[in-house]
Amino acid sequence: MNFLPIIQQNAPISMQIVRGFRSSAALSSVQSGRYKITPKRDRPLTYEMANPPHFIAHRKAWNSWNTSNLRGELRTAQCITEDMFIRKFMTGTWHSLVLSEVIIKRQFNHIRIAALIKQGISARKMYFLLGYTEEMLSYWLQCPVTLELQTVADPKDVIFKYI
Amino acid sequence: MLLKNIRNFNSSIYISSRHCFRPYSQGNVNEESYIEDEFRVLNLRKTKGKQRENAKKSKPPSVPPPRYQQMATDQDWSAVWPGPRSFHPATVPLPLRQGWVPLHKTTPGKFANAELMKIPNFLHLTPPAISKQCEALKKFCTPWPKILESEEQQEKHFPVKFISSDYVHGLPTIRNPLSRIVTIKLNLDNLQLDKHAKDKFLRLVGERYNEQTNELTIVTDRCPLKQQNYDYAMYLLTALYHESNITEEWENTKQEADMEYYDWHRNKSKVTSTEILNWRSTSDKKIDPPQGYINSVETLMNEGENDYNLNKYKEEVIKMLGLS
Repeated sequence: MNFLPIIQQNAPISMQIVRGFRSSAALSSVQSGRYKITPKRDRPLTYEMANPPHFIAHRKAWNSWNTSNLRGELRTAQCITEDMFIRKFMTGTWHSLVLSEVIIKRQFNHIRIAALIKQGISARKMYFLLGYTEEMLSYWLQCPVTLELQTVADPKDVIFKYI
Repeated sequence: MLLKNIRNFNSSIYISSRHCFRPYSQGNVNEESYIEDEFRVLNLRKTKGKQRENAKKSKPPSVPPPRYQQMATDQDWSAVWPGPRSFHPATVPLPLRQGWVPLHKTTPGKFANAELMKIPNFLHLTPPAISKQCEALKKFCTPWPKILESEEQQEKHFPVKFISSDYVHGLPTIRNPLSRIVTIKLNLDNLQLDKHAKDKFLRLVGERYNEQTNELTIVTDRCPLKQQNYDYAMYLLTALYHESNITEEWENTKQEADMEYYDWHRNKSKVTSTEILNWRSTSDKKIDPPQGYINSVETLMNEGENDYNLNKYKEEVIKMLGLS
C-alpha cells in the first residue's frame, strides 16, 4: 500500500492539508468472452463461445475483417460503430434465427455479412428478409452490402460442446 | 324427445350417409360424439388441451439436398464460384473440416461451421479462372516497346524515376493521405553539369545526394495531392539545375578559407614541390610533380591522417625525390 503525503505548498502553514493517495493491487480478473461451467454441465456452447478471446488468430478467426483495425489506418471508430450497428440490425431483423456470430468482411467499399441462420421460416420470408436487410443496410452505410447466409436445419448442429 | 327417438330409429341409415362425405368419421359413432361433431362446443375448462390437439404441427421447411451432390465432375467451376464469396458448404464439393479439438476427437465438419465462413477463401481464383481472366484482359494489352527492353535503355530514355504509393482499403474510402508523397530519383550523370555547376548543385541538394550510387532523391509531401507534389518535385529539379549553372558575382570572391575541400592547384604545396623539383634547373621547361604525389597529398588533406594515407604519402615522396 502506498501512502504519499502531498502538501499544498502555496497555502499558509496553518492551512496546509495533508492528502493521502491510496492504491491497491489491481484485480486481474478476466471475464469477458468466457463461460462458467454449470453443475449439470448442460450449458451449450458454440465453437466461437468455447474458445475464449485470447485464442483469436490461434483457434478461431476474427468476426470483423477490415483494414481499419490495423495500426495507423483510417476510420477506426466509424468502422467499429458501423459493425456494431450491423450486428444489432442483423440479430434484430433475423430475430431468434441467427445461430452464430455475425461475420462482417469488408473489401473496398463492399460489405459482406455472413451468418448461420436457423431454417425456422419459409423460404419466401427468408428471401424478403435478405433483400430487406441488404437494401436498408446499403442505404444507411452508403455502400453495397451482400448477405452470405448459411441455413442450418437443426439449431443443435452449431453446438460444439456442453459445459 | 321425439327427435331422439327418430335418430335411434334411423341411426344405421344416417351413419351410412355420413360416410359418403366425411370419410374420416368412424362407424360406431354414438350420440354424444355426433353432437360434438355437428356443433363446435366452447369448452372453457379444457381450452388449452383442445387447442394443442387441434393445432397444426409446423412442418419443417422443405430444403433441397446440398448442391454439390448434383454437380457434374467436369463442370466449369468458375461459373459456380465466379467472384469472392464466403464459404458455403452445400456448394463446395470438398470434404473440409475446420476447428481445434483436443486429442482423439473429431474436428467439426463443414456444415454449420462458422470458422470456415470467416476465413477469406480463394475459390474464385483457381488457376483456370485466372487464365480465363488473363485471356479476357489480353486484348487490352499492348506489346512492350522494344527499345526499352534492357535496364540501361530504360535508364537512358527515362532517367527520372518516379515513386509513389497507392493504398487499397477494406473500407468505403479510396483516399489515403499517405498516397500524396512523391519520390523522384535521378542519376546525376544524366545532368550536364560542369565542375562549378556540379559543386554548386551538390551544395544546394545537401543530404539528398547519395555519393555511393551517384543518385539524387527528392521527396515531396507538402501539397495535399499527388499530382501537385509531382509538379513541385519537377519544379525543384528544374530550379536546381538552372540555379547551379548560374555563376553569381560573389562566387568569384571565394578565398582559400572558404574552400570546403583541399584543392592541390590552389595551394602552397604545389608551388613548394615544383620549386624543389626544379631547384637549380636552368631550362625553361619546368618539371611538374607526378600525379600520384598530387593524389596522395589531396587524400591526406581531405580524408585526414591515417596509416594508409600516411604510408602512401611517404611512398610517393620517396618516389618523387628518387630516394629509394
